[in-house]
Amino acid sequence: MKLSRIFAIVEIETKEIVRDPVTVAVALLIPLVMLFLFGYAISFDVDNVAMGVLDHDRSAESRALVDRFLASGYFAMAESYQSAIEAETALQRGAVTLALIIPPGFADQLAGGEPAPVQALVDGTFSATANLVAAYANAIITGFGVQTAPPIEVAARVWYNPALRSVNFVVPGLFGVILMAFPPLLTALAITREKETGSIQQIFASPVTPVEFLSGKLIPYGLIAFLQIVMVIAVGFLWFAVPLKGSLGLLFGVGMIYVFTTVGIGLLVSTITSSQLVAMLLTLILSLMPSFLFSGFLFPIFTMPYVLQLYTRLFPAQYFVDFSRGVVLKGAGLAELWPSVLLLLTYTLVIFALAVWRFKKKVA
Amino acid sequence: MATNDMVIEAEGLGRRYRSVLALSDIDIEIGVGEIVGLVGPDGAGKTTLLQLFAAILDPSEGRCQVLGHDTVNEAAQITSKIGYMAQGFTLYDRLTVAENLSFAAKIRGVPGGDYMARRRRLLDMAGLTPFLDRREGALSGGMRKKLALCANLIHEPPLLLLDEPGLGVDPLSRRELWQILDDFRSEGATIVLSTSYMDEADRCDRVAFLDRGRLMALGRPDELRAQAKGLVHSIVSDRPAEAEAALHGMAGVLGIQWRADSVRFVMKPGADISQDEKARMDALGQLALAEPGMEDVFTILRGDESVPGEAETAVATRPAARAATGKTGEIATKGLTRRFGDFVAVGDVTLTIAPGEIFGLLGANGAGKTTLIRMLCGLLPPSSGSATVAGVEVTSDQGQLRQRIGYMSQRFSLYPDLTVGENLSFFASAYGLSRRDAREAIGWAVEMTGLGGQHGEMVARLSGAVRQRVALGCSILHRPAALFLDEPTSGVDPLARFRFWRLIRILAEGGMTVLVTTHNLEEAAYCHRLGLMDMGRMIAIGDLSALRAHFPGRELATAEDVFLAFMERERARPQSERAAS
Repeated sequence: MKLSRIFAIVEIETKEIVRDPVTVAVALLIPLVMLFLFGYAISFDVDNVAMGVLDHDRSAESRALVDRFLASGYFAMAESYQSAIEAETALQRGAVTLALIIPPGFADQLAGGEPAPVQALVDGTFSATANLVAAYANAIITGFGVQTAPPIEVAARVWYNPALRSVNFVVPGLFGVILMAFPPLLTALAITREKETGSIQQIFASPVTPVEFLSGKLIPYGLIAFLQIVMVIAVGFLWFAVPLKGSLGLLFGVGMIYVFTTVGIGLLVSTITSSQLVAMLLTLILSLMPSFLFSGFLFPIFTMPYVLQLYTRLFPAQYFVDFSRGVVLKGAGLAELWPSVLLLLTYTLVIFALAVWRFKKKVA
Repeated sequence: MATNDMVIEAEGLGRRYRSVLALSDIDIEIGVGEIVGLVGPDGAGKTTLLQLFAAILDPSEGRCQVLGHDTVNEAAQITSKIGYMAQGFTLYDRLTVAENLSFAAKIRGVPGGDYMARRRRLLDMAGLTPFLDRREGALSGGMRKKLALCANLIHEPPLLLLDEPGLGVDPLSRRELWQILDDFRSEGATIVLSTSYMDEADRCDRVAFLDRGRLMALGRPDELRAQAKGLVHSIVSDRPAEAEAALHGMAGVLGIQWRADSVRFVMKPGADISQDEKARMDALGQLALAEPGMEDVFTILRGDESVPGEAETAVATRPAARAATGKTGEIATKGLTRRFGDFVAVGDVTLTIAPGEIFGLLGANGAGKTTLIRMLCGLLPPSSGSATVAGVEVTSDQGQLRQRIGYMSQRFSLYPDLTVGENLSFFASAYGLSRRDAREAIGWAVEMTGLGGQHGEMVARLSGAVRQRVALGCSILHRPAALFLDEPTSGVDPLARFRFWRLIRILAEGGMTVLVTTHNLEEAAYCHRLGLMDMGRMIAIGDLSALRAHFPGRELATAEDVFLAFMERERARPQSERAAS
């Protein structure tokens, strides 16, 4: 292995990239666009849920119950109804997510110390939100009836993301996903393009070894990917005000390892495909799709069937998503997160070794 | 192991791609300092053989030693020493001339001092010094090839392997390519190259003929030509068409070449011309033995393959098949000019081409030939001047113009994933032929181009020569009055070329006007008149003898000599004078 040959390849690849402004723009702008879109669009927070009320009782107590709902901040009054049919159609139309039905005699029953039944109808089409809405409604209604202090007081504290802001959870996960989206694609295309134009034949018939060639390709695209991660992390902290509990240096350091994992996947894809189109599709299937589905970025892995959980372990994005959330939200360090880091490192080395093994200096 | 002065030693070398045997049983030894040319029809295995020599492809049978190393076990030692130039353009088009060269030097560990000295020398020889900072992609085809050669010579390899270095390169650049090769060889290097130009084959020390993966012949050009001695005849006649028709019926004729003033033909070894036949030919013109060329050697080695299909012979003689278009395909331009910004791609071209004439447009890469054709086809509006093709003003009615012309571009625009029949049907419907007319037209075109029986073949699987005939078939379906062919025979072997030109001539005899560009100046002989273009201007028009007459007292044997003489004269004129005229 000769460093001078690796540098020669790094040099021409860098020039080729820089002279194609479209690629540079795509590489640097699209991650930001993705970060903004996902940062704003993906939210599991429940607030301002539209509610409708059918109040048969029309008493001071029934109005107090409705006020309690509105005062919680989770609900907003959208409509009030005269009949159960109206409430039902409102749910069906999707005009409200919660319909509260207060039966006649509600105030009398409360005054008499009897259990006073109240009905809360929740639109369950989107189950995650429905659960939360039902739970909130339940808590408000239960608390309304009880005047005395309960015998056991639960002091629940949410750690790591006390404000329960979705963006705090989404953005550190996005660091892992965005880096899986573009660097592998750019790298895979860079090598298959040489196969299509035939310029790779000049490399074959030269002293350049597979390790040298692949390293020379890895470095410039690794740098672009690193630039992406710096940009994305900066925007995450400065714009979305995600709190950073752990060490920024550690985040960048392991980010660098992860960058080489993602670029390595691109290299591996390019060694087994011969056209840019196939390389592109294969990269999307191997990197982008699993990073969305199987990284725990949006869908928690522990709820998946066991076999599928094992399958998700094949894709490296989840190690980085775990790591990134650990550092950003929990303030964890290497002492806690070393398994993820070790796995990423191993993964990168294996991928690169596979690519070198697959890359033959032969035309067929 | 044989003596050490063998650069390449192959024994029983073969390569199989799945079920297809691309190359088999090749035994060859190539010594230090030799230039060996690989010649053969499309799909003969030339590229495969070069790749095997370059150790970038493993053989499936036999073995090969290059520079004393085994191509399978010691491939790295081979690839680190040799130079290999693949077909097509394989440099980095976004990098400049200097950057491409410096990359080639760096990966091969050429020391900095040597690099600068060699770069200066190579670029001077290639005439590329003024373009050091130009991007490779912005160079003309000829310049790109020369640069690729320089990039492969920067480490002064002991062995240079070149795959069709002259493909698509104009004669001037080709001559410079060969000057570099000769220079390099005189320093003791060995060169193996594949080519479809027979004049290049003639310049080699030895020529290897490949056909369908087998080595048919190997020898010095003069030895090979000697084998053909006595088999090549010519009839000098003022009625070449009749002479040719007579030859077509004759037994033992392997190939017929039609020239401006004569017909050449090659007899099968052992076959004789009977007394009757001799008498018939004597009546038509003067029958004599001719000096065999490499093309004739090629024809003999190809054997029975070389005779045109029977259908073609039949069709050629049937008057009904001749393309009666009903329209006259005259092409007339007046002061036709096209500018791109300040750059004059075509300047002030005035030209008249008569119906039924074959007009050959010659010129270096970038001389403006393709731009001129594109204007005549209505694909590009002229900046000034006017042109009429088949009675239609090119700037007026595009629809009407398209109906009257046929255009075959450099890269045959066929759909590779459709069959021959499907391609023909598509183009028929694109020309708006009714179903009945289309069937008739396809039948005619298939018969004309000798594609019978290949209807169901996928175009992607056809050889370049057959693809070329399919493309021609597609462009004449609507029986155009004028036909434009842009480098139709690029990269096609001599026999396929003869066959193609025969078709062109038959079409022209039927009244079609044909305008054709070519870099292969041997083909100038098939044209009635030639137009020489340089830097956008038409510098000379006339038939070969008229052009030759521009240089009285000079010995200009071939069309290429004439062309180069014109180019030299142009280059010698001061820049200001050239721009003004």
